[in-house]
Amino acid sequence: MMPAGFFTWLWDRLNVFATVFLGIFVEAVPYLLLGTLASGLVEVFLDRDQMSKWVSGRPVASAVSGALMGMIFPVCECGVVPLTRRLFHKGLPLSAGISFLLAAPVLNPIVIFSTAAAFGWGQMLFWRMGLSLLIAVVTGLIFSVEKEADNVLRPSLTFFHEHDHAHDEDLPSFLEKIRKALLITADEFFEMGRYLILGAVLAAALQTFISQSVLLTLGSGPVLSVLIMLGLAILLSICSTVDAFVALGFVGTFSFGSVLSFLVFGPMVDIKSVMMYSQVFKKRSVIYIVAIPFMISLLSGLIFNYVQP
Amino acid sequence: MQTRMVRSFQGLLLIGMFIFFASKAANGQLTWYINSRFIPLTIFGTIFLAVLAQVIFSEVKRLRREQETGHDHDHAPAPMNLWFMLLPLLIGVFIPARPLDSSAFATKGFNTNSPLVSADTSAQIFETDSEERNVLDWIKLYNYEANTAQFEGQKASVIGFVYFDETLSEGQFFVSRFVVSCCAADGFAIAMPAEWSEAATLEQDSWVLVKGTIKSVMLNDKVVPMIVAETIQPVPVPNQPYLYP
Repeated sequence: MMPAGFFTWLWDRLNVFATVFLGIFVEAVPYLLLGTLASGLVEVFLDRDQMSKWVSGRPVASAVSGALMGMIFPVCECGVVPLTRRLFHKGLPLSAGISFLLAAPVLNPIVIFSTAAAFGWGQMLFWRMGLSLLIAVVTGLIFSVEKEADNVLRPSLTFFHEHDHAHDEDLPSFLEKIRKALLITADEFFEMGRYLILGAVLAAALQTFISQSVLLTLGSGPVLSVLIMLGLAILLSICSTVDAFVALGFVGTFSFGSVLSFLVFGPMVDIKSVMMYSQVFKKRSVIYIVAIPFMISLLSGLIFNYVQP
Repeated sequence: MQTRMVRSFQGLLLIGMFIFFASKAANGQLTWYINSRFIPLTIFGTIFLAVLAQVIFSEVKRLRREQETGHDHDHAPAPMNLWFMLLPLLIGVFIPARPLDSSAFATKGFNTNSPLVSADTSAQIFETDSEERNVLDWIKLYNYEANTAQFEGQKASVIGFVYFDETLSEGQFFVSRFVVSCCAADGFAIAMPAEWSEAATLEQDSWVLVKGTIKSVMLNDKVVPMIVAETIQPVPVPNQPYLYP
């Protein structure tokens, strides 16, 4: 027979799991809705010709402009995934799209102000923005080698195909366009929500069963401390709009370089965003999107730890 | 028929999500999951869910009309995507809601002297009346003020949940709170020790208002504030169970 204490323990674990899971979910839903709404509006109001007029064909210019697009579309890492996929569908070059995907959750007005609120207008803000830009552009440039978008992206059901418009005899009215945009919003909300939920289940389960405090007590040494902060960024799956306040809690326990690597890597890669990437990109591309930011964040964390320990 | 069924299911799920969010907003339990500054955005999301449900149900109507005329051009979402959305609703309905408490300490740990916020904010706390300071304020003060002796003997009045820990001696317990920046996922616990002759009568995780005076004590090689309690009264779970950094 199981001791009664075991059931109390299990019930307590289940409660922690439910609260953490619903915490991530409740927090992310409005942002995911905003991202899929932006995607729906881009689908109906932006046509491919306009897109090609805006975006440069040269890889470096295209990657840099993609990385800076977040200043116009302030999305966090939940909303950026559906929006990026839609922009690809509208003909955005791979290099611009990938650097938008990685940079937009950090290089946007909301995150600049929240980071400044936590750390002040100083080194941390400057390096966070600078390194995010660097990683996004480098990753974008690596993808610019690939000319065929179909090798990178997975096909999707929520793209309306040409025959959908064929039976609209006149140009669709404004209201009809809005209706279509909202229909896309709803469908994409479910499509991306599935991966958000998977990611939240995983993150909540890890938080319920793996001890963070053990992780944190391991956190000394210039190499290990960076690795632990990178691991924590993946584990916690915090929205980029507020992660600066969470990072503040680690200042003092962790060096400047380790906290910086947390702030640079976290918005690009965590459990829920990797789940969502895997719905949009083919497996090999997901590996690149995770590995390149990981290596550059690790390297810059190490450099800072050795230069200013 | 198939497409219409999938669409109807999608509409029902959106209604279900709307009811879930709206009821959490109405009974004040949103603060059990997220930092209250995100509540306006969550309310917007809740209303938007209702709008989307309306769009989906009008699509169901349109499909019925089109089916009668022989057209069917709709792409319904994959049913698998829909089934996943049931999960948060099921968890929300079947697992009774409970804010983070000491059962999360096992993995999230708890802290009696975390350096939580940059030093400049401690000046404000310094000026607030000592009885207005919460657990987080006291811990911040002890972190950033070199001279902690000046706080000894000050009146304190803090709310938190009770946590008994073997590192404390008899007649002592922790008054704890979770600090949440964004959502429950980033929550971490802070605690200050309290001393009360009748501490043994308190229940683990029950919420209490502790009034007394501050005394500096050594805990894990750090100086931390302890409340020598004069009165302790049980209180309901506060409207905002978490503190915000």
